[in-house]
Amino acid sequence: MAEKRSPNADESDMYAQWTETMTTMWGSMLSLWLPGGSRAASAAAEDPPQEDRDTRKRMRASIEAALKNWQALSGAMSAPESLEAMFKGAGAMPAVLTQLAQTSLQGFLEMQQKILEQAGRVGEHVDAYTFADIDENLFRTWTEIYEQEFSRFFQIPKLGLVREYQERISAAADGYNRYQATLNEFLRMMAIPIGRSFTVLQEEVAVLAEKGELPEDGRAYYDMWIKILEGHYMTLFQTPEYPESFSRLLSSLSAFQSARNAVIEDMLSGLPIPTQSETDSLYQEIHRLKRRLRALEKEKA
Amino acid sequence: MTQSNIPVDLIISKMAEASEKAQAKARKGSEVLLKDLDTEIAPTPYETVYQEDRVKLKYYRPEGKPKFKTPLLVVYALINRETMLDLQPGRSVVQTFLDNGLEVYMIDWGYPTRKDRFLGFDDHINGYMDNVVDFIRARHNLPKIHLMGICMGGAFSVIYSAQHPEKIKNLVTTVTPTNFDTDKGLLHQWMRHIDPESLVRTHGNLPAHVMNLGFLLLNPARLMLDKYVGFFENMDNKKFVENFIRMEKWIFDSPDLPGAVFEKFIRDCYQQNLLIQSKLTVGGKAVNLKKITMPLLNIYGLYDHLVPPEACDKLTAAVGSKDTEDICLRTGHIGIYVSSKTQREFAPKIAAWLAERDAQRKRTAKPAPKKAPKRAARKAPQTRAAAT
Repeated sequence: MAEKRSPNADESDMYAQWTETMTTMWGSMLSLWLPGGSRAASAAAEDPPQEDRDTRKRMRASIEAALKNWQALSGAMSAPESLEAMFKGAGAMPAVLTQLAQTSLQGFLEMQQKILEQAGRVGEHVDAYTFADIDENLFRTWTEIYEQEFSRFFQIPKLGLVREYQERISAAADGYNRYQATLNEFLRMMAIPIGRSFTVLQEEVAVLAEKGELPEDGRAYYDMWIKILEGHYMTLFQTPEYPESFSRLLSSLSAFQSARNAVIEDMLSGLPIPTQSETDSLYQEIHRLKRRLRALEKEKA
Repeated sequence: MTQSNIPVDLIISKMAEASEKAQAKARKGSEVLLKDLDTEIAPTPYETVYQEDRVKLKYYRPEGKPKFKTPLLVVYALINRETMLDLQPGRSVVQTFLDNGLEVYMIDWGYPTRKDRFLGFDDHINGYMDNVVDFIRARHNLPKIHLMGICMGGAFSVIYSAQHPEKIKNLVTTVTPTNFDTDKGLLHQWMRHIDPESLVRTHGNLPAHVMNLGFLLLNPARLMLDKYVGFFENMDNKKFVENFIRMEKWIFDSPDLPGAVFEKFIRDCYQQNLLIQSKLTVGGKAVNLKKITMPLLNIYGLYDHLVPPEACDKLTAAVGSKDTEDICLRTGHIGIYVSSKTQREFAPKIAAWLAERDAQRKRTAKPAPKKAPKRAARKAPQTRAAAT
């Protein structure tokens, strides 16, 4: 009959053996190296001065104490119930990673779905100067996924003495990601008219070719294209999505820069350099004083 | 088998021809670019007669005796630079005014720095502008002067004239936005989505490069691409290259916009349209447009993509003056000042309009007390230390 073993049995045995070996080895090594050990005994004839002898004694005592603590600790750790608890704790870490991976996978699948939807449209006729399906913007999808899923990892509450600094660093990292996401979204939007203008140009050229009216001068094609491109941009700019995307870009850039500045100010606060907040406060004070002076001058005149 | 309608051989031969032409142009163009080019802007001589903080007052004196009794103060926007009014010989609004015998003062707002972020409408209008107006009044011993505003400077001039009507004889507004409730200009649509507080909180002032990017995005196909294709096509033409570079210099010579001004301009004007409704307050005082009782000439461009006619043409009906005139020129926001065509109608029209009204002098307000002897002030600029 096969012996019933817990899943962590092998790891526990290995860990127990390892701690025991390490304790024995370090115990032997230290007893050799430490003053009063067998190695030190051969040099005993040198008879070091009293001050040195005291130092060695104190050192030996502390190392022996540390070794005893280690032996006690490793003994306790080698107990099966402790090992089980430890491996259970270690198992919690992969759970966080799994959650992160799940979030990534979910986001990836959503993105892929959008890509497939868009791919289905390949080859469809492009209506000039219309942006009815502007919501196909994949980067907007990514921004939304980031905001809903990934951003919350940066919002995990920070604890302890350096909590505020950690919060500011997390805010800067989060701000940078949000800014990158909105920048990609905006650039993608700005690229739409370029792609569409080429498609429309091809269609117009095909019509002219059918009629046998193709221009001979290359400049004429450029003029056609730039006119189509300009028209597409003007149409894009009239959509409600464009100013919203532009506004999101500016807001995310401002938010990131503010968060980054806060981190830099933390660093500067330890140096003998005034921070921007301090100089701003000074400027504001000067501004108030100048206004008061102006009012007094006008009153006097 | 049907014969193709596409004259492929002809197209290819044309392409080869164009390629040869482009190479020749590039060769000649590089010769032009390596030669000495006259790309100086703002060539008309002037004196700086007054300075307060970063703000300077330029004085342009006509050749011979001035033909006007009253000088003209030109207030440019805080966006870009006043050098646009004196871009180059033959395309200079300032020079045309001088040729007509008009003494011209022009405010140079300078380059705001971080310390100017708290300076708002009140500081610029009732501070710097009012001090400048008082300085000119004192210098010429006059109760009133002519005032001309450009774009945002026009809005400042409207506000100033409403709050200090006793100091302004005639008001000229050019491409001046006063009605912001219109969808005609992209700028008007976009500004509704902007959060000015967040930009100001981060940057202090609105950085010039952010503004310039916004302006380029109004028409990226033309302003970021076609314009430079045009430059390449004409780079063998020295005159064209010089003019092009002058304009480039002016366009990207952009000061940052003081944060407090930007915030109020967007919130109160673009987003709430308070100015034209006489609901705007500056320095704690209402800006009642009905108090603008002096003659008003309002000029704007039919093809202005930044300040469309709809943003300008409500002003004359909103003011208290009975002597008003609207002129819509068939040009754009910048073309109104620099195109060779408008050089013949824009500045000469203003000079003529002012000349008609300059003679009708009526002392209704006391001249400002003299702060500096006239001649001495011209030798060294008068400066104010602090109060804005």
